[in-house]
Amino acid sequence: MDINTKKLKKNAFRVTKVRGYTASRIRVPGGHLDVKFLPKIQEIADKFGNGTIHITSRQGFEIPGIPFEKMPEVNLALQSLIEGLEINQDAMNEGYPAAGTRNITACIGNKVCPFACYQTTAFAKRIEKAVFPHDLHFKVALTGCPNDCAKVRMHDFGIMGMTLPQLDPSRCIDCKACVNACKKKSVGALKTENYRPVRNEEKCIGCGECVLNCPNMAWTRSEEKYYRLTLLGRTGKKNPRLGEDFIKWVDEDSIIKIILNTYKYVTAYIDPRAPGGKEHIGYIVDRTGFDEFKKWAMEGVNLPKAAEVTDRIYWSGIKY
Amino acid sequence: MIKNDYIPFSSKILEVIKHTEIEFTFRMEYTADAKPGQFFEVSMPKYGEAPISISGIGENFVDLTIRKVGKVTDEVFEHYTGESLFLRGPYGNGFDVLDYESKEVIVVAGGTGLSPVRGVVEYFYNNPDKCESMTLISGFKSPDDILFSADLEKWKENMEVILTVDSAEEGSRYKTGLVTTYIPKLQIKDKNNVAVVVVGPPAMMRFSVKAFLDLGIAEENIWISQERKMCCGLGKCGHCKIGDVYVCLDGPVFNYVKGKELID
Amino acid sequence: MGYVLTTKQANEIFAELSTQYRLFAPKTFGNEGRYSDTGCVRYGEVTCVEDITFDKKSEYSFKEAILPVMQTLFYFTEREVTEPKVDDKKTMIFLRSCDIHAVKRLDEMYYKNGPKDYYYSLLRDNVKFVLIGCEQSFENCFCVSMGTNTTDHYDFSFCKAHDTYEINLKNTEFISLFEKVNASVMEVKVPFVTENDVKVQIPDGLKAKVTSSTIWDEYDSRCIACGRCNFVCPTCTCFTMQDMYYTDNGKVGERRRVWASCMVDGFTDVAGGGSYRKNYGQRMRFKLLHKVYDFKQRNGFHMCIGCGRCDDVCPEYISFSNCINKLPEALKEVDQL
Repeated sequence: MDINTKKLKKNAFRVTKVRGYTASRIRVPGGHLDVKFLPKIQEIADKFGNGTIHITSRQGFEIPGIPFEKMPEVNLALQSLIEGLEINQDAMNEGYPAAGTRNITACIGNKVCPFACYQTTAFAKRIEKAVFPHDLHFKVALTGCPNDCAKVRMHDFGIMGMTLPQLDPSRCIDCKACVNACKKKSVGALKTENYRPVRNEEKCIGCGECVLNCPNMAWTRSEEKYYRLTLLGRTGKKNPRLGEDFIKWVDEDSIIKIILNTYKYVTAYIDPRAPGGKEHIGYIVDRTGFDEFKKWAMEGVNLPKAAEVTDRIYWSGIKY
Repeated sequence: MIKNDYIPFSSKILEVIKHTEIEFTFRMEYTADAKPGQFFEVSMPKYGEAPISISGIGENFVDLTIRKVGKVTDEVFEHYTGESLFLRGPYGNGFDVLDYESKEVIVVAGGTGLSPVRGVVEYFYNNPDKCESMTLISGFKSPDDILFSADLEKWKENMEVILTVDSAEEGSRYKTGLVTTYIPKLQIKDKNNVAVVVVGPPAMMRFSVKAFLDLGIAEENIWISQERKMCCGLGKCGHCKIGDVYVCLDGPVFNYVKGKELID
Repeated sequence: MGYVLTTKQANEIFAELSTQYRLFAPKTFGNEGRYSDTGCVRYGEVTCVEDITFDKKSEYSFKEAILPVMQTLFYFTEREVTEPKVDDKKTMIFLRSCDIHAVKRLDEMYYKNGPKDYYYSLLRDNVKFVLIGCEQSFENCFCVSMGTNTTDHYDFSFCKAHDTYEINLKNTEFISLFEKVNASVMEVKVPFVTENDVKVQIPDGLKAKVTSSTIWDEYDSRCIACGRCNFVCPTCTCFTMQDMYYTDNGKVGERRRVWASCMVDGFTDVAGGGSYRKNYGQRMRFKLLHKVYDFKQRNGFHMCIGCGRCDDVCPEYISFSNCINKLPEALKEVDQL
């Protein structure tokens, strides 16, 4: 058997522990899909795999037990899913064009969740459209609010929804629901002064608890949607760590621009001898220094007025 | 044009009588009608208003006995050196002494509850012939909490005054024990000709009333005064409502026949 | 007398009315819902018919037009108090039948319970009411049970019928308004709801004794005491005074009244730390009996108008109407005691 493993990996298949057998990974940007796609997944698993699927930790489906020789047929079968889920593709019927940049994951967002500050899947799809396909190892995750159910701080780019709460003092009745909720469930950014809540702008994380808990709609959400962008968290053997805050109150356009800029930066600085051409961005930044990274990342970015950029980030994490 | 009942008037502080560290009587200039048991809304701009019952009435003044327990009253204490306070009122029905005339009058007061009934006691002190007899049971937490001690001394002249404290150091000259201990011991000549007035904290009122009922005193011969959050005094704000009653309009004094129905 | 208006004619009338009135109607606040990307229907000033949301129940009621959430009573300095200047513009409120019945409840409290309220009168005395008809009942409405589904107490009605607006004129003072735009005269019948899915029956022999029933206990844990039910209620009238100061020394400021809720902590707090009804179930009982029992004892008619807004808004899905329907059971329970 002669198989180019480098090629098959880029084609979103993998080398498995069972010799001669592979697994196919289906990306689902934003982790949400129409059930009309499920029969096709079932069909592939039944016809080419071992009749099971694994729901991956990155919100895709992995179909195991596929003989290597079935890969072209699987790619043909995948076409309707790739098109239906609007995945960018270089050539039809050849499966996924890349796998380095992982599926963009998202919590359920404001489709369902009352806490979420935006449509996570929609933004995830927008990012997917902008960055995929790419072989570089980038992990992006989105979460609706600072509860961070999507664990975005363990990704290269973590996107957390925020809302800039607006107070209409004439509707406030001083019931302190917001102050109490902020204290008990969030960061305690509110205090009462002169019978009205006063927001500590520095402390506020834009979670929207004040809006959710206000019984009289004195607090409402900002028209603009804002995000917290966290950087270069990672899992892995070497030095797993949580992503640190890069920009608070950033907008969608700037986030996409920063991610695209980072591809250029990584292309320029990645270790050419990195195993499998795969190096976490964080290790590259450790090498070039944060300032160099920031210079590249912020190229041509026009931040909203409210945005607060961290001067220099220091990561911690586990060191062995 | 409708009268704006929310606008307070400025009233001169004529005198400040200090009872305890935290209880002062402010003698305020006031010439219109007022009854014991009624209350004024006393305001300190910035801190708000507090309902304070009338503890004494004179020709050109009313006495307001204020206990330093909240942010408004704290401020009143801080600033009483100023010459005036803003007032609204008087509000509420107050005690109607005519209901008690020619009866064996028994007043039971717990702590600051003595303030609202002081006017009633004063009335029968000044008009002893208008009642069959007059008894006052006045209880305080400790000797340091006693209010109107000069009055309590003076009233002894022509009525029975039982002054008791919940507890006192040994050798104290005060009687000790709750007011309810003294109720069963009262010498009542004709239990159908008794007028009982009970004012004080909720638990004290409940047990005192029960003690009188046990003595065979009819509900209609017992009056109580309810303390509630009275914010507007005008039957609007709703804070003092109990059932179908607005304490600020229909009370704070209730005959027990109605009073017993009031469930918060 | 009835008229039918085109949108153009209706807007000419709105323009004319706007010179004298603040037009207050249910409207959609696009992005101002509690959750992201949701809106909210509540009352606000409108300038044209398109601003009005006819097909939904407003989450908050009309009452804020005559009983503002926050109202300045006076400004103070150390020595004197000054009343705020009043806008002499009159108010015209677009509202449904149940809400017109609610006005009677507000009037009862602010005109009759105790002395006539000065600040309420300032606004209320100059209000005209425009009735919005109800083609069908909304979710949680129980107006028929409360007898508030129909009304005659309005100046004119204003109902959307496809692309026209139908007017039933009661107050002849407004005849010229419609004649001026050459509105076509037509017999107009205001649609009223005659049946709701939700029905309540307040037991005849209801008495204060139900207070001791155990039906209230489940609300101790279900209710979160947020007060939404009070704030959306068109008949809740309670308020609290606030002294707001502008200066650090507190010598200059204003006294206001703001809405208060009998469900929210602090409502009964007295100086020195006492408070009543600590359990949320007892607060529910206090509110419910006020709405369907003791208000009537005092004033001769029920306070609740059956709009169901309290049910619509409750984040814990507590149903007021369902609780009313537990009263017979509660009565039976306390009668056995």
